[in-house]
Amino acid sequence: MPLETEATAELRALLADIKPDATDLLGALHRVQHHYGYVSAEAMRVIAEQLRVSVAHVYGATTYYADFRTTPPPRTNIGWCSGPACRLRNSVGIRDAMLATLGIAMGGQTNDGMVGVTQMQCNGSCEQAPQVWVGEAVVGRLNAARAIRLARALRDGADTSSVISETASTNGGGH
Amino acid sequence: MGIPGDTYATLRANADAVWEEWNRPLRPRINLAEDTSSLAAGAHAVWVALNRRAEERGAAIDLGGTAGYGLQWLNPLADITWPDGTRILYGPVTLDAVDMLIDEAVGRTGAADRLAIGTLAGSRAGIASIEAHPFLAEERERRLTVRVGRTDPASLEHYIATGGYFATARALDRHMEPQAIRQVVIDAGLWGRGGAAFPAGVKWNFLAGAPGDEHVLVCNADEGDPGGWANRVLLEGDPHLIVEGMLIAALASNAHYGYIYIRSEYPLAVERMRAAIRDAEAAGILGNDVLGSGFRCTFEIVMGAGAYVCGDETGLISSLQDGRGMPRIKPPFPANAGVLLKPTNVNNVETYANVPLILMHGAEWYRQYGTQADSGTKIFSLSGNIERVGWMETPFGTPLKAVLAACGGVAGGGVLKAIQPGGPLIGYLPGRLVDTLTLERAPFAAQGAGLGSGGIVFIGAGSCSVDLNVLFAEFVELESCGRCTTCHGGNQRMHEIFRRTGDGLGRTEDRHNLELIASTLQFSNCAHGQLSPTIMRNTLRHFEAEYNAHLHGTCEALRCPGLARFRITDQSDPSLVEAQAICPTGAIVGEAGNRIVEDSACIRCGACTDVAPRAIVREAAPAGTELPRRAPAAPPGTASAFGVPPLSWQATGLARPEGGMGGPAPITLFV
Ligand SMILES: Cc1cc2nc3c(=O)[nH]c(=O)nc-3n(C[C@H](O)[C@H](O)[C@H](O)COP(=O)(O)O)c2cc1C
Ligand code: FES
Repeated sequence: MPLETEATAELRALLADIKPDATDLLGALHRVQHHYGYVSAEAMRVIAEQLRVSVAHVYGATTYYADFRTTPPPRTNIGWCSGPACRLRNSVGIRDAMLATLGIAMGGQTNDGMVGVTQMQCNGSCEQAPQVWVGEAVVGRLNAARAIRLARALRDGADTSSVISETASTNGGGH
Repeated sequence: MGIPGDTYATLRANADAVWEEWNRPLRPRINLAEDTSSLAAGAHAVWVALNRRAEERGAAIDLGGTAGYGLQWLNPLADITWPDGTRILYGPVTLDAVDMLIDEAVGRTGAADRLAIGTLAGSRAGIASIEAHPFLAEERERRLTVRVGRTDPASLEHYIATGGYFATARALDRHMEPQAIRQVVIDAGLWGRGGAAFPAGVKWNFLAGAPGDEHVLVCNADEGDPGGWANRVLLEGDPHLIVEGMLIAALASNAHYGYIYIRSEYPLAVERMRAAIRDAEAAGILGNDVLGSGFRCTFEIVMGAGAYVCGDETGLISSLQDGRGMPRIKPPFPANAGVLLKPTNVNNVETYANVPLILMHGAEWYRQYGTQADSGTKIFSLSGNIERVGWMETPFGTPLKAVLAACGGVAGGGVLKAIQPGGPLIGYLPGRLVDTLTLERAPFAAQGAGLGSGGIVFIGAGSCSVDLNVLFAEFVELESCGRCTTCHGGNQRMHEIFRRTGDGLGRTEDRHNLELIASTLQFSNCAHGQLSPTIMRNTLRHFEAEYNAHLHGTCEALRCPGLARFRITDQSDPSLVEAQAICPTGAIVGEAGNRIVEDSACIRCGACTDVAPRAIVREAAPAGTELPRRAPAAPPGTASAFGVPPLSWQATGLARPEGGMGGPAPITLFV
C-alpha cells in the first residue's frame, strides 16, 4: 500500500459515505468532477476501494458516460448543442467554425488550456436554436460569424461574462 | 399511526390558506417563470434585476416564482397577480422590461400592455384570456399540466390546495386494494409514455405478483430524445405530481422504494425533485408512515451522466448498479430481475404523472379525451422551423395540421419539408403527411414511424435529408453502448455512408449496403440497435429522389459540405473586408476587387455569408470542386472531453468526381 498522500486523504473524506450496492457510483463521479473539474486516476482508485470493485470497473464506467472527463477542463468550456433544432439552423457550420478558430477537434482544448469545445445534447430550449453553452450560460440565436468572435475572444483571454453579454442577441421574439 | 383522511385534512387546511394568499395577495406580486428554457433566455438576470429595482424603487410588491406556461418563444415569462385576483401573463420580460413590469404591478395600469400575453385569472379590458391565445388553440383542458405556470413548483401547499395528494389520502383512508388501483389504471387505458406504449396497470400487475417484499419502482426521467422535453415540463413545473404518481404506483404494487433517474442535462429538475421529496417527507407524505397509514415509501434521486441508452430500462438499471449503463437482453424482465436483482417496475415520468388524475377522477373521466386506443392527453414539445416553439398538452387524436397552425406554421411561411417525431429512433416523415396525420399511435405506425415520447421537430424546405441523416446516424453511433457489433459497427458504417454521401462521394452500392445494415441491426440486443435504422429507412422510402440526387452530385438545399461552395458575386461590396477577416481558415484570399473563396481551404461554415450576405452566395459545387477541410473526428467512443491534443485542420486533397461515384453494381453478400 503506497503512503497516503494529502490528495488521497482529501478524496477519502469527500467520498466517505460511498457504499457498495447502494447505487452510489454516478453520484460519486459527479461529486469528484464537481470538486476537481475532472475524475483523476487517483479518484477512480478511491471510488473503487469504497465500492469494493476493481479500478478497471470504475474506469470503464467513468469513460462510458459523456459527462465525465479524465483530464483537467479548460478555463472556459463551450458546449455545442448537437440537437435537431440547432442543426436546422446551421449548427454544423457553427461547430466547424469554432473548432477551426481554435484549431482543435471536438472534445479537445487549446494548448494553453484556455478554451475547449464539447458536444452536448438538446435540453429543450430549442427556441434559442442554434445555441451553445459558455460555461453554464446559454448563448442562443447564434450564427457562424458570432460563434467565431466568441471563440476568438475566449481564446484571447476574455472573461466569460463579458463574452456572453457581447455576443448575446436580444432574447425573445414577437407575438 | 393515524387516520389518513385526518392527516390530509390538516395539511389541506394549511395549504388552502397559502393558496388563497397566492391568488389574492395583500400586495401585487410579480411571479417570474424559472425553468430551463426561461433560464436560457436570461431569466436569472431578470430575477436579479427585478429584486434590485423593486428594492431601489421601494415598490410595494412581492416577487414569486413559477415555471413556464409553454410559450417558450416568448421567454422569459412573468405574471402579475393583483390583490383583486386578476392575473396577467407577460413576455418576453427581458432586462429592459423590468421597470415597465414594476410600473404595471404598482398600479400604472397599461404600462406593460405591450408585453401582455393573456389573463391567467380575472379579466382586464383589452387583454384576452390566455386560453384564447392561438398557440393554445389545440389544447382542450390542461390536465397533466394544470399547475404548470400557475403554481410555485417549490410549494407543497400549492400542490395540495389544488387537489394534490387527495387521491392518495382517499385510497389509504378507504384501504383501497392494490389490485383495485391497478384496475382503475388499466380501465383508463393508460399506456407508457416512454416510447414502448405498454399498458401501465398491466406492468404493475407483474411487479405486484413478484415474490418478496423488496419491490422497486423506477421513474425514468432520462428523456434523451433530442427535441423532446415533455418530461422536463413536469419535472420542473409540477414535481409533486410525479412523486404522487409514484406513491400511488407503490401502493398498487407493494413497493416501498423508488429511484428517480434524471438526466444530468436537467439540473433544475434534479433540484426541484429533490426538494419535493424532502418536503413530502417532512410533511409525512413520504417516509415510514405515509399520511399516518403505516405504509412506508421512500424515493431517491439519481442523476444520469450523459448516456442515451440509459433511457432504455435495462440500461437504466445497469447504470443504477454502479457500472456502465449497458442495456441487456430481456428476459429476464425488470419485474423478475431489476435493480440489484430486486423485482422492479420502470415507468416514464409522464406515465406516473397521469396516475393521480386517474385515481382522483376515475377511468371514465380520463377517457373523455383522446381516442379509443389512445385515451387521455399528451404533452408535446414542438420545435424546428416553426414560428412558435414550445410545448402544449393536447388530447390524443389531435390533427397535426392544427398543431402546426397553432405553432404559427413554418417559419418565414415556407413549405414544410418533413417532420421528425419522437427522437432519433422513431421517424422521419414527409411534410405533406401533416395534412392527414393525427397525434395517435396508429397513423404514425402505418408510416413506419411512431410518436415516441412526444417531441416533434418540424423541418422546413431549407434543410437536407442526407444532412439530417448524418446527424441521426452520428447520434446512434455515438450513443451505442458498444456491446453488439451489429449496433456499434453497423451504425458506424451507416454514419460513414451518409457523411460520404454528403461529401458527394456516395456510391450506388451504398443503397444496398444501407439495407443490409438495417436488416443486420435488427439482431442487436436492445431497441437502440434495433430501431437505429428507422430514420434511414423512412428517408429511403419517402425521400428517395433527394437521396439519389446526392449520388449524382446535387444537394438541392445546399447543406451538404461536398456539394456546395461559396462564391463572391459582388467585388465592390464593402462587407467583404469583414468577411475576409471573419473566415476562420483564411479561405478568402486576394486583394480588394479580386477576392476569391478557395474551395480547398473553405470549411463551408457560412460565416462569410453571415457578414456579407449580399456579396457572397452559397451555390452548387460543380464537379471537380475540392472538398472542404475537415476537423479530425471526435475521439472514439465518447462525445466528451478526453484531453485530445490540438490538431490543425487538414485539407482533404480530394475533389468530387464528375457525376458522383457511380461505382460498380451492388455486391450481394447475403440477404
Ligand atoms: C435507446 C432507448 C432509449 C430510451 N429512452 C427513454 C427515455 O429517455 N425515457 C423513457 O421513459 N423511456 C425510454 N425508453 C423506453 C424504456 O426502455 C421503457 O420502455 C420505459 O421507460 C418504460 O416506461 P413506460 O412504460 O412508462 O413508457 C428508451 C428505450 C430505448 C431502447
Ligand atoms: S436542438 Fe439545440 S436546444 Fe434543442
